[in-house]
Amino acid sequence: MLPTHLHDLDADALTELVEGIAARPETWRHLVSHRPDARTYEQLHRDDHVAVWLICWMNDHDTGFHDHDLSAGALSVVRGSVCEERLVLGGAPSSRTVSAGDTLTFAASDIHRVAHAGSEPAVTLHAYSPPLWRMGAYEVSPEGTLRRHSMSYAEELRPLDEGAIAA
Amino acid sequence: MGKVMSSVPRSDLHQHLWPDALIRALAERVSPPRLRHGADGWILELPGEPPCPVALADHDPVARALEAERDGIDRIGIALSVPLGIELLPAAEAQPLLDAFHDGVAELGEPFRFWAATALTAPGAGALEIDALLDRGAIGATVPAGALASEVGLVRLSALLSRLEARDVPLFVHPGPAPSAHRGAPSWWPAMTAYVADMHAAWHAWAAWGRRSHPRLRVLFAMLAGGAPLHAERLAVRGGPAGAVHDELTFFDVSSYGPRTVDAMLRVVGADRLIHGSDRPVAEPPLLGALGPSVAHALAEANPDRLLSPDPVTA
Repeated sequence: MLPTHLHDLDADALTELVEGIAARPETWRHLVSHRPDARTYEQLHRDDHVAVWLICWMNDHDTGFHDHDLSAGALSVVRGSVCEERLVLGGAPSSRTVSAGDTLTFAASDIHRVAHAGSEPAVTLHAYSPPLWRMGAYEVSPEGTLRRHSMSYAEELRPLDEGAIAA
Repeated sequence: MGKVMSSVPRSDLHQHLWPDALIRALAERVSPPRLRHGADGWILELPGEPPCPVALADHDPVARALEAERDGIDRIGIALSVPLGIELLPAAEAQPLLDAFHDGVAELGEPFRFWAATALTAPGAGALEIDALLDRGAIGATVPAGALASEVGLVRLSALLSRLEARDVPLFVHPGPAPSAHRGAPSWWPAMTAYVADMHAAWHAWAAWGRRSHPRLRVLFAMLAGGAPLHAERLAVRGGPAGAVHDELTFFDVSSYGPRTVDAMLRVVGADRLIHGSDRPVAEPPLLGALGPSVAHALAEANPDRLLSPDPVTA
């Protein structure tokens, strides 16, 4: 469906990629499928430099705080809304809600959390460059210390069940 | 965590078991490959190799089924031990051994399933026999890596591969037999040299010629194809078909590899194309717990299911 990329993509190129796919719903619409208990994931493309996924959200599905280790990414909302939070030390997370037509990007060094927002099910397109491999999931211990759990990308994109990433 | 997502069976698609019928057939032979009873137990004789003691207790289906239960496995794919070289014998010699293998494993019942093996020396290299074996319940067919490791080899196997493609069942590419190792070579020598080289050649041949001729055939390479996809950057620099690492119909079993190499493969090909295969009784199942429960689920449940049962949605 997509040409093979010959190098890793920066934020602008990732944005262009996901918005281009968003503009061609005939290439992904048949894969949209919502589950009440968990996000659903479909890989649309993978090459050495980019992987593209379609994710379907509802019922406040929530990734928990995580990082993408070596990968940068872009997320384009094609239906509904999701809320992104960035972790802020000693303060409330910074938060923004993005809706159909919006795109947000994140660098490999960013720590964020994405959750379904609103009542309408949401559909998002994600591009990661290079393709996700390892990730970090963040947990706040009862004492308030932050812990990072290293994990395979499969825990996020091929999870056993809901809440694969610790909130 | 831990909630059961579906009733997909947990599979180990790479094991070997010599059913009694095959043991008897090998013991009746007067030339290698054969089994003979020596003073200290059973001896395996292979062409060009020193006689080697074997523990036939390793091939007890009751004990194996119990091991599977302990491993949490409820579907085992049994393949003929390709290093025996049975597929490459003259067809008239191969056929009684192949019949004994298929008859023996077909009657074992759950959790055992079997990969068909055919005499590659027969007219059609197995294309004439494969349908009957699939009708008896074979989950696909095994071929030795060396038979698939060149354009000429692929042409020879073409009719067999076309039948597998038409029947929508996978091909399993397995290493062996190894040419005789040098005198005094330790027992692990072929596994680390000839097997790796053969699997590399088979994967590269598949990338160069096989996929083009069989665009819909699902293929499982044993032992991560010897790690061949890890060399894709080098393949690209040399002008080869490096995009083959992303072929969605090519799968890799993890036999004898551990978390470091499996994680490296996962980085290159993704989590969707790795398959749990232990190579029992040659090896114990790899310990991949460090890669997390979702990887375990992908390797033993989701991916084997896609390899064996095609997704009707996939175009």
